[in-house]
Amino acid sequence: MDPAANRPAVVIDNGTGYTKMGYAGNVEPCFIVPTVVAVNESFLNQSRSSSKANWLAQHNAGVMADLDFFIGDEALARSRSSSTYNLTYPIRHGQVDNWDAMERFWQHCIFNYLRCDPEDHYFLLTESPLTAPESREYTGEIMFETFNVPGLYIAVNSVLALAAGYTASKCEMTGVVVDVGDGATHVVPVADGYVIGSSIKSVPITGKDVTLFIQQLMRERGENIPPEDSFEVARKVKETYCYTCSDIVKEFNKHDKEPSKYIKQWRGIKPKTGAPYSCDIGYERFLGPEVFFNPEIYSSDFTTPLPSVIDKCIQSAPIDTRRALYKNIVLSGGSTMFKDFHRRLQRDIKKIVDARVLASEARLGGEIKSHPVEVNVVSHPIQRFAVWFGGSVLASTPEFFAACHTKAEYEEYGASICRTNPVFKGMY
Amino acid sequence: MILLQSHSKFLLQTLLNRVQNFDKGVELDYHWVEFGDVRYHIQVSMKNPQHLKLSVSLPIPPPDTVFMGGLPSGAIEAIKSAYGAVVQILDPPRDGFNLTLKLNLSKLPPDEEYKHVLLVKIASVREVVLGAPLRLILKQLASRTVSSNINQLVALVHRPKESFFLVPQVDKVTVIFPMRFNDSIDIVLATSFLQEFVEARRTAGLHNAPSCSWSSTPPLELKEAATEALSANAGFVTFVIFPRHVEGKKLDRTVWSLSTFHAYVSYHVKCSEGFMHTRMRRRVESLIEALGRAKPDTDTENRKKGGHNRSFKRLSLKDGRTNSN
Repeated sequence: MDPAANRPAVVIDNGTGYTKMGYAGNVEPCFIVPTVVAVNESFLNQSRSSSKANWLAQHNAGVMADLDFFIGDEALARSRSSSTYNLTYPIRHGQVDNWDAMERFWQHCIFNYLRCDPEDHYFLLTESPLTAPESREYTGEIMFETFNVPGLYIAVNSVLALAAGYTASKCEMTGVVVDVGDGATHVVPVADGYVIGSSIKSVPITGKDVTLFIQQLMRERGENIPPEDSFEVARKVKETYCYTCSDIVKEFNKHDKEPSKYIKQWRGIKPKTGAPYSCDIGYERFLGPEVFFNPEIYSSDFTTPLPSVIDKCIQSAPIDTRRALYKNIVLSGGSTMFKDFHRRLQRDIKKIVDARVLASEARLGGEIKSHPVEVNVVSHPIQRFAVWFGGSVLASTPEFFAACHTKAEYEEYGASICRTNPVFKGMY
Repeated sequence: MILLQSHSKFLLQTLLNRVQNFDKGVELDYHWVEFGDVRYHIQVSMKNPQHLKLSVSLPIPPPDTVFMGGLPSGAIEAIKSAYGAVVQILDPPRDGFNLTLKLNLSKLPPDEEYKHVLLVKIASVREVVLGAPLRLILKQLASRTVSSNINQLVALVHRPKESFFLVPQVDKVTVIFPMRFNDSIDIVLATSFLQEFVEARRTAGLHNAPSCSWSSTPPLELKEAATEALSANAGFVTFVIFPRHVEGKKLDRTVWSLSTFHAYVSYHVKCSEGFMHTRMRRRVESLIEALGRAKPDTDTENRKKGGHNRSFKRLSLKDGRTNSN
């Protein structure tokens, strides 16, 4: 028996905004860090300009620079305090963009944060349902060649999100996953654990857009925020104060009537001068999350609200799964954490569905009554790292180790083994 | 990051988090594994949030190492002297673990700075427990006290079923690491890394560092050791530690660096593999670029061809006319 199978598997969920990592069998990830790498590139520029004579010194400097990088919160702190470090975001819009940075990021995740020997553990990584098979191959290559992992499983994050709900309350593996992350928003229908690939819908509005919108609102109102800090402040405001309202007009009235109750204060310190400042947080508290329901207030290119995207997605799925899909709409990702987000979503989808049912009844002249369609948006307290939790549950089952791609398989067949995914089997 | 830190990042984060939210009752039950197969388990119950139960399981020792009651010799004394009243050793330990500590957070010192130092020390429990016998021998070297095990080979565990060896003498301690790797590429990389490592010791700035050497065959000091301990596929590394390397504050760092030497090498082997992949990727990109440049520009080619065709046609027409005339 493989000794690595006795140790808990390592579960790493790389998101565009945050990476969640930890060991399988736990309820929470060990670390949630921003997916960012700060690389010291000062050595690189030097070696180009100076003479050939001290090439050894330069070579050594280059090798040192290769170890001189930071990830996560440390990276953000380093880049703020000194100008020698450049920030790189390895993942963009849910896809790995810079493989060098990604490899370094994993290196630090494994050796500095989790402090494990990658040869001792099976690994579970996640990917979005729209990831190209080539990128999966690349991931496998890095994991097997660089880190020598004994086994690797690349899971589809929406299926994991569904699996997370599976343990919280009993329900089947059929449902729609609404994954609103920092860099990508997908609506993914899953039937019996298999992704219905042709019906996946993506929305160009993400958590980052909410932050940008809040930043824009605050800038337009002329709040006193240092420009170099404004994005970070907007992000913090989004994470702490934003909520979903049921009706914008009523909410505006409420804010105008009782400003003392609704308007919050934000206090900070200017990074350059060290002087304290404060600013008000007003309408952006509910206008931020509103971009999902009324996208026209933010962008003129995309104006379909999230509830109707979900409805279209379910309508394009096979007809025999639709009722089950409406019944189990699962939220995942940090940007679904706004208060009452699920209530608003459920209400709006229900409205669309009821209107359709009424229309069809009217068309049939009221002779045939259909069963009412049950619409249910499920939310659970671990939404922020639901994907990680699903991965943790999956990787702690004994079947997991059999489903992994192993090092021996990799050496026999090459990176193409990562192309096939059990969840997509029959499609590729 | 060049050296591995001695404290477990996650354990420190958890402890700091508990100290900051002191009164909040949080259920916590977490287990994780570190390099060298050291397992941890931490547990906090709702009822008394001040008490943390921390269990540690150590790598399975090879038969030639001395383990007393599941712990390396001197570990219990080391724990008591390092942590004082904050920590209580529970006997028997939790099932499947070698050691269970009960931390009482209400007994932490009030001084913030000192508290932080102590928490970091608790987070480096691995160094305290696994490094205890090594620390004892190096301490004797520092104080130049002669002990009973002089000139005797001592085996200490550092990885599951693997140990490294010490030969304590009055004025020096010789430390020998048999290096083993599973993967054939790792063996090659580690071998050249270690040769380079020995070479680097000879550069000007490092005269005071412990002398080290590498050989592919077991050194003479290991002639008493068991044969299975001598099967190292990446050679043997020998360090000679003098009293000046273990004076005062240097002792902690020396103990940590020696007891995690294998992890250090394997970390750097992985780093160099990553570095090589970066270089290979860049090379492929530049080759693809060169290929892209070599490709004939299809757009201009077509236009040229088109022009050519037209003139050819015109010629043929003329030819036709001349022929008919």
